[in-house]
Amino acid sequence: MNRSQRHLSRLANRRGPIHDLERIFDAVTEEAALNPAEREAFCRWALSSLLDNFKTHLMDRRIEIEKQIKAMGINVPNGTVNKDYHASFLLPEGLVSDVRVDGVEDLGLSLTTDGYDEYYLSGRPVKAGDFTLTLSFQTLAGAPRSSLKIPVAFNPDPRSLWRNIPTDPNIPYFKEDSATDYIRVEAGKDEAPRKDMVAASQRGRSHAREGKPRDDHFALDHCYESGWYIMAVADGAGSAKYSRKGSEVACNAAVAHCKSMLTDNPEFEKAIADYAADKEDAGKRTELTRMVIDIIYKGAVKAHEAVKKVAAANEEAKLRDFATTLMFAIAKKYDFGWFIASFWVGDGAICLFDMNSHTVKLLGTPDEGEFSGQTRFLTMPEIFHDKDVVSKRLKMTIVPDFTALFLMTDGVSDPMFETEKNLNDYDKWLHLWNKLNTGFPGDNIPGVDLSDDNEQSKNQLLRWLDFWSAGNHDDRTIAILY
Amino acid sequence: MRRLPVYLLLDTSGSMFGEPIEAVKNGMQVLVSTLRQDPYALETAYLSIITFDSKAQQLTPLTELSAFQQPDLRANGTTALGEALALVAKKADQEVTKTTMEKKGDWKPLVFIMTDGEPTDDLNKGLAEFNKRKWGMVVACAAGAGANTDTLKKITECVVSLDTADSSTIKAFFKWVSASVSAGSMKVEETGSEATTLSELPPPPPEVNIVL
Repeated sequence: MNRSQRHLSRLANRRGPIHDLERIFDAVTEEAALNPAEREAFCRWALSSLLDNFKTHLMDRRIEIEKQIKAMGINVPNGTVNKDYHASFLLPEGLVSDVRVDGVEDLGLSLTTDGYDEYYLSGRPVKAGDFTLTLSFQTLAGAPRSSLKIPVAFNPDPRSLWRNIPTDPNIPYFKEDSATDYIRVEAGKDEAPRKDMVAASQRGRSHAREGKPRDDHFALDHCYESGWYIMAVADGAGSAKYSRKGSEVACNAAVAHCKSMLTDNPEFEKAIADYAADKEDAGKRTELTRMVIDIIYKGAVKAHEAVKKVAAANEEAKLRDFATTLMFAIAKKYDFGWFIASFWVGDGAICLFDMNSHTVKLLGTPDEGEFSGQTRFLTMPEIFHDKDVVSKRLKMTIVPDFTALFLMTDGVSDPMFETEKNLNDYDKWLHLWNKLNTGFPGDNIPGVDLSDDNEQSKNQLLRWLDFWSAGNHDDRTIAILY
Repeated sequence: MRRLPVYLLLDTSGSMFGEPIEAVKNGMQVLVSTLRQDPYALETAYLSIITFDSKAQQLTPLTELSAFQQPDLRANGTTALGEALALVAKKADQEVTKTTMEKKGDWKPLVFIMTDGEPTDDLNKGLAEFNKRKWGMVVACAAGAGANTDTLKKITECVVSLDTADSSTIKAFFKWVSASVSAGSMKVEETGSEATTLSELPPPPPEVNIVL
């Protein structure tokens, strides 16, 4: 390299701002006649001032970004323990990096991102309670991490809040927390299958969580000699302390009376046949009605008296402490079809459901009154003083056939039908029938196999009664003739 | 599903600034987290927050307890209690489901009012609107010496008072509200009817005095 080349190279090297700075620095410090120590001090002072400025700038910028993010109002919805949780939020792309939510793994969640501006918080919450999530992120290199508090609540699984405390067996009139029955009626000489009866009764969650007994009751019976089916369902009043006994006594007394009247009653059989042969004949109708009153209405009176007797035997209780509703039905198959008669006081539902004719026939009207909760009870003497008691509460009918005769307490009918009007809606009953078949897969409750002679269906039906319906946790009882 | 609507009408006027408003915030937090542990309330109770200062506004529309997130409260301005009564009437019209033949509607709403001063607007105008609606139970709470229980008696029979508006007293009030909502949501399910008198609510703690 010759001299002129070296000169050119030196010029090229000295070009640029650093060398300008160096030149200016030399000039300034020489002019001020600074000695080397002063030069050093000045140099440090100048740079550290600049550094402070730089830091302020960084902080301003970070605050600016933080404000921008805060203004976005990031929030996440609440979740429920053991249920899939998924929340997403946005953070401005390019302005933040290394985004984390502290301790999120301990809650059963994880944070992921689409790699641009969207972040996902998902998983299954493991703990119930109110939490404050700390979302932290890096804004600028060298700046401290920024963070943001996000409140979130994870609700307990509602099912976990319903405890199941067994009823104390030492209470007066103790009753098992659940009951089932199946009455299998085998095919006769004609080998045609015959209808069976199944029933199940389950204590409600509202009682179970306090260890209170089941107030519902049912009774089934079948007269093998005469072919009569008898079924009764009763709902003891929640406010009456011994209603569990009231419902039991009422069901048993009504069924016992019907059975005694139906086992061998050729006059009644003849009256039914005569009436079926000529339904227009008022005389035959009156004659049959008179006999039905003897069986059904008397059955209700006997039930009322039986409860009264139990109440009278208890010195510290009154009849109203045994308040209960009652519905019962008798049914028998003839050549001309099915004869069915029933009595109903209180709420719940008693209904003939037939898929062939797409019809439902409610056997009476529920005593719901204008305000719900104001039902009538078998134990109210005025029920029997009402001059319309027979026309209002007694039903008799002849139908060619039917899919099912249902008796149920309001613990089943309320969640299934909600209003009285819906009780007359065939589609709602079809829905119930389908639900019986399919169960509630979401709640892990299998269907009920209502095929002929399937005794197992009583256990399936009991399990089915556990279906989940928010706000409906009353005792549930259902009896089906099918 | 029949919901039990619960409207909280909270005074956020300037006099609530500081300890009282912080106590209300804490109280609300306690209220919600307690109710979430109660299976009846968790399923049936729905909560709305209406605040009133120089004007009334609904900070949280009627929301199921499980989804409820606490709004931010700030204290300033005057006490537009009349406007708050008119607003809750309007919101109830919009938010509370009526019973039809096919569907059972919601239970009648519970209303809890808390104020620490005299209303500064036309109370009677708002009260006239309020009285046109059907409410399950309306409880008004006079927090501290500045509130006039006679004024609150015009709104409802059920008036309670707090001697002071400090944090432990306000917290005790909110705990009682929480127990009342629990009792109310259990009552609707067990008996099929709403609570309508103070005697049907749990007894208030010593900090909460019933005004006869």
